[in-house]
Amino acid sequence: MSNLRVTQGNHHSTLPAWWLVFTQELSDLWIGGKALNLIFIYTLVLAVMVYLYAFNTELSLTPPKEAVYELLKNAMAVSIFIGLIIGSDTLSGDRERNTLESLLLTPVSRRQIVVGKFLMGISAWPVTYVLAIPFMNVLSQGDEVLLPAIFWGFLIGTILVMAFTALGMLASFWSGSNRVSYFTSLGVYILLLIPAELPGSSIGAAGQFLQWINPIASAYHFLSKHLVNYEALSLLWSWLVSPTVFALLLLGLLFLYASPSLRLEPGKTASRWSRKLEQVIGGMALLILVLSIPSTPALAQSQASDLQISIDRSTALVKTGDKVEYNTTVSNHGSQTSPPLIIAMNIVNLDEMGDTVDPEDWAPKRTQYIQSLPPGETTSLHWIINTILDGNYMVYMVLIPAPANNDSTSQAVATSGIHLTIHPFTRLNPGGVLPYAIGAPLIVLVLILFVHRRRNVLIHAGDPFQTFS
Amino acid sequence: MIKKNTSSTTGSQHEILMSEDVSKSYGPRHALQGLTFSLKAGRILGFLGPNGAGKTTSIRILTTMLDPDSGHFVIDGIHSDHPEEIRRRIGVLPESLGFPTQTTGIEYLTFFGQLYGRSRASARELGMALLEDVGLQKRASSLIGTYSHGMKQRLGIARALVNDPTVVFLDEPTLGLDPRAQQELLDLIQRIARGRGTGVILCSHILSEIENICDDVVILNAGQVVARGSVSEVIGRVQRNIMLGNALRVQVPSGFFARAKQTLKASLPHLMKVNPIGEMEGWLRIELVESTDDTQPHLINNIILSALIRARIPVLSFETEGGRLQDVFLRLTEEAIQ
Repeated sequence: MSNLRVTQGNHHSTLPAWWLVFTQELSDLWIGGKALNLIFIYTLVLAVMVYLYAFNTELSLTPPKEAVYELLKNAMAVSIFIGLIIGSDTLSGDRERNTLESLLLTPVSRRQIVVGKFLMGISAWPVTYVLAIPFMNVLSQGDEVLLPAIFWGFLIGTILVMAFTALGMLASFWSGSNRVSYFTSLGVYILLLIPAELPGSSIGAAGQFLQWINPIASAYHFLSKHLVNYEALSLLWSWLVSPTVFALLLLGLLFLYASPSLRLEPGKTASRWSRKLEQVIGGMALLILVLSIPSTPALAQSQASDLQISIDRSTALVKTGDKVEYNTTVSNHGSQTSPPLIIAMNIVNLDEMGDTVDPEDWAPKRTQYIQSLPPGETTSLHWIINTILDGNYMVYMVLIPAPANNDSTSQAVATSGIHLTIHPFTRLNPGGVLPYAIGAPLIVLVLILFVHRRRNVLIHAGDPFQTFS
Repeated sequence: MIKKNTSSTTGSQHEILMSEDVSKSYGPRHALQGLTFSLKAGRILGFLGPNGAGKTTSIRILTTMLDPDSGHFVIDGIHSDHPEEIRRRIGVLPESLGFPTQTTGIEYLTFFGQLYGRSRASARELGMALLEDVGLQKRASSLIGTYSHGMKQRLGIARALVNDPTVVFLDEPTLGLDPRAQQELLDLIQRIARGRGTGVILCSHILSEIENICDDVVILNAGQVVARGSVSEVIGRVQRNIMLGNALRVQVPSGFFARAKQTLKASLPHLMKVNPIGEMEGWLRIELVESTDDTQPHLINNIILSALIRARIPVLSFETEGGRLQDVFLRLTEEAIQ
């Protein structure tokens, strides 16, 4: 017996408290098995998805870009869910397990505790993302979409995972039990996820607005348009506003407003000032979102003049899923400035028995506009076609001067066509997919068993410290 | 090795906790009104009160988990306006302390040692010393999930000592423990106070353990302090205010219960009531409604004992009601309720 006296010495820690909380929580999360179990489920989801893309007759025809995008979307959705679940458990779970009080009784600041727990909450994201990359690689089949998908997926995924982990922690901050915390945060997540997953939900101005304001739908739209439809980033940046503002708002709420007053009971002490502050923050959030709505350029009407349009390509031999690019040149040979000009792409199936073509599916930007063209001037436009179905097609462009008013019309001018020959897409090689579909979950499973076994061995050997050293 | 206080409790003792008129309300309900008391180094103070008396609120305020509406307190010279500094100087075993089940005992203590500014190696060394102190050194590398309730309580006490506190708050530390584990824990608490010179505030529903190990006591009822002082002072003060000797308690083997009752009724005609005590098996309560003219009250004890001995009834225990802390507690809280 050492008479309950302890050695002190000059062994002061230089590690910040948030780091200590983070590493301790990290150890609980990963060695405790919760994170690995969630990641095992995640790899199963990805494995099933890749398996279906390889073996399902219809899905196997999906172009690589679209398959990569769909996998990225699902990887992000499940990763957000994991962050949300971990975040929702942090504070209310500690209240339920009676482990929060011992932390609050230390001289560590509340914010440092929350920072440590938040970092633990997002710790699964890099792992889930790295695990998704081989799946994206096998689905891309060498397509150039892979690198942009990895970059933008990581950037947007990080923003969303941070936002939803913070959301889960905020729900946890105001909840006395995990049941309430999970119900609240998952409810918000599902409300935002469902519109993002439903096709056609963005029809009309209101639909577009709802899609834009929804951080998940907005992020999906950005990824879809940029990765699948090649839309320029300059046209898409506004779709990143909503996820970014959503993340900043939630992180600000968590770290600046909620965390300093973390206590044993759920929520903050409800003073008159804090209620006012909550109202102001809510109002500001709404205002920021409303003010960030992208403005729609107004279209003017004018008259036609002497105009010509040409195309720089006459044929293309590709396979389904490939991208065909070309340019058009519009010239004004008249003596007057042209009215606004509309240039539209058309695609016709040359096979009488073939499927009718819906150009909207084939081109990310089927119609482009020129405000006006001065006399003697020439302008060039860039076009992209995604080859969806195999067969023989003719692509041609039409130049339409905007009519002057409701009672007038204008003369359309057409280009020569591009003869587009599309061969069937080579299906995913099932043999190449299976190692990933089976291997990834198996590796995680082996890792789970290894961690448990290693932990037990070290505990029996009496030195659990070796686990992370 | 540092020595928090190597002097024994008989040495010079200074006040390490002073609470001055601390009050707290939840809406219209006054949970605590004017809590005033002090604690000296190396002493154990029992905090008593029925459910809802304000014990938990008091502990939460004194451990900085709650802000008081009014009043203040000072711990080791630090005013309650500096809660983080207060937290550096206190150790707490909450009533419901949870533990991470996938962490070992030594990892747990190392983590908390680091939170108080120690290096990992130093915190581990301290953790091992504390585990030895609480008798858990052999289970240092076991997962806490495999610990018994008593072991967890001892680990909780070790955790409360990682910062070498001036004051330790122990809220119902023996709750749910078997008698042996209870006694071991009480011994440990005494060692903390006597050996380290730490002030201990012990909340418990088990009045006998308060009576046995506490030097001082504060009795709360309906948010107010109804008695405070040393245990003997409080018992003495209450004894003077109640009719001492008005009731007696005697314990006999269960086989002699009916005979003892008969004997007592027959031998002392002025005894009006002899009843078993429901919550105390084998005990009879002898209530004297009025004294005899020719018998001094303090001789009644002898008469009762003589009657039982003559009837060859073994007397296992015999006491005057009002002489125990339990009686004081019941009387004070009952009076306050009335």
